[in-house]
Amino acid sequence: MWHRERIPLLLAFVQSVLVVGWCFTEMEAGPGAAMSTQTNGDRFKIEGRAIVPGVKTQDWVSTARVLVDGEEHVGFLRTDGSFAVNDVPSGSYVVEVVTPTYRFDPVRVDITSKGKMRYARLVNYIKTSEVIRQPYPLQIRSSGPHSYFMKRETWGWTDFLMNPMVMMMVLPLLIIVLLPKVVNTNDPEMRKEMEQSMNMLNPNPELPDVSELMTKLFSGSKGSSKAGSSSKGTRPAAKRR
Amino acid sequence: AAMAKLILLWLKCVILYNAVGAVFEDQVGKFDWRQQYVGKVRFSHFDTHVQSSKKVLVATENNVFAALNTRTGELFWRHVDKSGPEGNIDALLHHGQDAILVVGNGRLLRSWDVNVGGLNWEIVLDSGSFQKACLVGQQGTVKNVAVLKKNIISLHYLSNGHQKWIENLPESETVDYQTVYSGGNGEVYALGIVPHSHVVIIAYSTDDGEIIKQISVEAPWLSNIVASCAVIGQGVLICVDSATPSLYMCDLHLDTHDLQMTQIPLQSLGLEVAPDFQPVLVSHQPNSAHQPLSEFFLQLGPDNFLLLQLNNGQIVTLRDFKPVRNLFSILPTSVNICQNVNVAWHPCQNILFPQTCYCKIFFINLFSAETGRRLLDTTLIFVMDPNGGKPEKIYIQPFLKKDDSVGYRAMVQTEDHTLTFIQQPGRVMWTREEALSDVVTMEMVDLPLTGTQAELEGEFGKKADGLMSMVFKRLSSQLILLQAWIAHLWKLFYDARKPRSQVKNEVTIENLSRDEFNLQKMMVMVTASGKLFGIDSKTGSILWRHYLEDVPSNAAFKLMVQRTTAHFPHPPQCTLLIKDQDTGLTTLHVFNPIFGKKSHVNPPALPQPILQSFLLPLMDQDYAKVLLLVDDQYKVSAFPSTKNVLQQLQEMASSIFFYLVDSSQGRLSGYRLRTDLSTEQIWEVVIPMEIQRIVSVKGKRPNEHVHSQGRVMGDRSVLYKYLNPNLLAVVTESTDTHQERSFVGIILIDGVTGRIIHEAVQRKARGPVHVVHSENWVVYEYWSTKSRRNEFSVIELYEGMELYNSTVFSSLDRPHAPQVLQQSYIFPSAISTMEATLTEKGITSRHLLIGLPSGGILSLPKMFLDPRRPEIVSEQSREENLIPYAPELMIRTEWFINYNQSISRVRGIHTSPSGLESTCLVVAYGLDIYQTRVYPSKQFDVLKDDYDYMLISSVLLALFFATMISKRLAEVKLLNRAWR
Repeated sequence: MWHRERIPLLLAFVQSVLVVGWCFTEMEAGPGAAMSTQTNGDRFKIEGRAIVPGVKTQDWVSTARVLVDGEEHVGFLRTDGSFAVNDVPSGSYVVEVVTPTYRFDPVRVDITSKGKMRYARLVNYIKTSEVIRQPYPLQIRSSGPHSYFMKRETWGWTDFLMNPMVMMMVLPLLIIVLLPKVVNTNDPEMRKEMEQSMNMLNPNPELPDVSELMTKLFSGSKGSSKAGSSSKGTRPAAKRR
Repeated sequence: AAMAKLILLWLKCVILYNAVGAVFEDQVGKFDWRQQYVGKVRFSHFDTHVQSSKKVLVATENNVFAALNTRTGELFWRHVDKSGPEGNIDALLHHGQDAILVVGNGRLLRSWDVNVGGLNWEIVLDSGSFQKACLVGQQGTVKNVAVLKKNIISLHYLSNGHQKWIENLPESETVDYQTVYSGGNGEVYALGIVPHSHVVIIAYSTDDGEIIKQISVEAPWLSNIVASCAVIGQGVLICVDSATPSLYMCDLHLDTHDLQMTQIPLQSLGLEVAPDFQPVLVSHQPNSAHQPLSEFFLQLGPDNFLLLQLNNGQIVTLRDFKPVRNLFSILPTSVNICQNVNVAWHPCQNILFPQTCYCKIFFINLFSAETGRRLLDTTLIFVMDPNGGKPEKIYIQPFLKKDDSVGYRAMVQTEDHTLTFIQQPGRVMWTREEALSDVVTMEMVDLPLTGTQAELEGEFGKKADGLMSMVFKRLSSQLILLQAWIAHLWKLFYDARKPRSQVKNEVTIENLSRDEFNLQKMMVMVTASGKLFGIDSKTGSILWRHYLEDVPSNAAFKLMVQRTTAHFPHPPQCTLLIKDQDTGLTTLHVFNPIFGKKSHVNPPALPQPILQSFLLPLMDQDYAKVLLLVDDQYKVSAFPSTKNVLQQLQEMASSIFFYLVDSSQGRLSGYRLRTDLSTEQIWEVVIPMEIQRIVSVKGKRPNEHVHSQGRVMGDRSVLYKYLNPNLLAVVTESTDTHQERSFVGIILIDGVTGRIIHEAVQRKARGPVHVVHSENWVVYEYWSTKSRRNEFSVIELYEGMELYNSTVFSSLDRPHAPQVLQQSYIFPSAISTMEATLTEKGITSRHLLIGLPSGGILSLPKMFLDPRRPEIVSEQSREENLIPYAPELMIRTEWFINYNQSISRVRGIHTSPSGLESTCLVVAYGLDIYQTRVYPSKQFDVLKDDYDYMLISSVLLALFFATMISKRLAEVKLLNRAWR
């Protein structure tokens, strides 16, 4: 039941934070925002250039577009990668270069009512007051190709061998098989030596055993890892809802 | 410990992020396909500057400019501009490597590089409504483009778009300047008209825009230059007047001020205009640096064309094209004059062609423009698709064959927006169904069982008639099964012997059948042009098409499946409701969704405008669901309306409720059906029109299943969902659009009782609002004017810890108001459309499919839009697998179900369940069509397609052999020990 009371409260809190944030932006983008309501103001141009490092422009410009605020205004790329979106009234816009192959980060561009004080900044939807200026005209550099695909899990011998379970099985096996062959246990001198070294390791029987300590510690961490695995385990159950 | 918890949480997040969506690279094209369209072609040019070019440029009414491959019909490149009038393409001029577009009522001038598909330049023109543009040549080369607007004329360089000069047109308030012409001699002519008074001709110098001369010519009979005039030969303006009827001529080059139009009565040429026909003149200018041809066309009647020639001031009739035998339809289109075959190296081979029609077969012939004689071996036969429309336009690509004779290919555009590319003597090279660029609504219909399966089904479906006949039926059906099995084996054997390349698995209507998991379905698509398509969802091939003639241009469509394929031997039945949005008059088209054929069932005539239509879960004796139609007198009619149906309706009437929305009045009202099929109003909600208006009303999808009634909480108690099937989500927007005062409202209303369950208002927000309403939640998206970003909001409804009546939900008996939870998020992109996945039983978790303007379709798990996402993580919320609240939702490209196959202007997403619970079929349509499958909870009910059969079988084999060998070894050892 508490959810019902808590969540609106939390929402109200978030909202109030946002209001504070807005007050800051108001000062900065004030004129632009005010002008955007004017219907037949002047129209301006957003200019820039998109660059994909190491790729010829001819190979990608024909599939690219410049979108301003969704599809509110559309611009196309010239054969040299530069672009100009014409006929944009003053206001604040998110400019994005869209291609199916390469990723470009969106940029916010503000145009004042006189069309002069334009500045570009990185888009931050949460803190709208934060300004990281970018040069204008825009220089939008691609941050590499889009990654659309998941990697398939591949099966290899190294993966199999480096698996902790396999290691845990294989190593004791080796010890069991190889150790008796390397060390001759029938030799009485050797046996004596071993017994001595065992006594050296455990001089005081009152002290807690190291191995015991270890097992305790492991069982503790095992408990937490169990919690992790159980949360994993409940996931299919959650799906069946 | 806190650190550990954090790490765990982070781990869980990583797992969650990785678990959802995503395509593997090897799955590309395995079960998805995309088809790209351009829309109805408005302008088209063949790229002729290189002889071997395979491009045809098209500019369409969907504001798309593209280059098609003439050999295959595929796209070389495509540029999609803004939709609406601002991206409208007004003119397309083509010269050499450049294509010049005038866009947005003369607002922009763009030049494209035809080869690469990149932009050369773009400039903004001065404001003013666009009239005409033409290329201007001088001394044999084209260097400029002239743009004529209502009050100005400007000249621009082709190379960079810079303005050479701009001049105001004199007396532009009174004179209507309509066209611009240049004959390649250093002058640009602007032709204007004062209707029913005189024509104004102004010649500008190409070099500096100086007015060389300005003449006005009396023409009291003329009202429109574009419709009835043309410039031919050495700059002679020729006009036709239907009243007199006669041709008028005047030479633009003559430098006299008392210029007169010389009248040539058509009678003197021995010609006659068909009654009530406005004659049309068509001229042709093959190269803008040169003069137009002195030959021109005159259309005197719908099926009567003349080829005339201006020869030393005399008009000579070269040929009279009159279809001799037109049996059914009459010559449908205007006749075009095609280009010179590459002037540079083969001068003066001017070719014309008209078309003739004999019933549904068209012949295209080439004629020499100079003589009017038909060229030998140039007949091309175009067979009209019986399910298509009539031809509307034709584009011709002439070329010279090796033996210097003329060959050509034709691209025919028909009324149903289809492009057909034909080669001599009539081989169709490709067709493009451009109607599919404008899909309005669609349904996915299960495919029928195969004939043999159906036969078996039919045995049980029919009424039993005696023991012996039943036995015979059983025997015969078993025999048929045996026969089919043998045939199948034989085919397998036969195919195995043939080389693999020859074995084709083409899908045709005949061999369509349902697959094991019902993954292959028939997509029935309704397009705005009135053409219906049946598309195989597996391959994307069009299996049937049907063009509905006389569909009004502003029609609204609603497609309903009345009978599925499950009721053999009754054929499946779909009903398309076509409503004229102005008059409200409605017609029904009933058809078989598998074959596309019109049904024998006669739909009722509907004389009254229809307000509402809905399918009832009732079925008549033939298993067709009952469609109820409510007219503007609030009378209800049923279809089918057999006695059986009416009787059922009478019994059920008291429990049939429906609602009407009148968005112009802001009124929502609920009605109940009476036994005599009249209605009574039981509730009404008025939303004040001065403040807000209703934008959309969304109910739940009727075929949706919800598997679990509640959610298990962290403390093992159950929070029950409020699953009201009658719930409506009404979205309103404020009429005040000021960014400080605008708001978006959402009202949840029970459609039966009219009870308002919940109301929420988002202040400082505006539309467009996209809504998805499903199960116990409503998700909507709006634009926040305050923070200038898109925001998602989710509302979830819960009954509480106890369920009032767990067996059945009744709107009339639910005393407790549901608990409402709401949470909002920031979304870092605008969205085009939104839909939720749908599965057979509703066990699989839900995803939202979001169409983005960038062309991607994002599959966003509903888990992220959960109002119970906690701000502070607690033990319980972790137990429940709730993701901690984060204000911003992420867009990850791995979640794009269509990877790099972007879809332009997504308008709708259709989801449909398949036979597998894990799998949901998705079709996204807009300018393109994309079909795929999604697995919101991964493929939990089938083996994954990367399942390693090799590994598992090799491990099994190895183990088997290992046991065998060790057994043998053990035996040997035992034996040895026994011997010792």
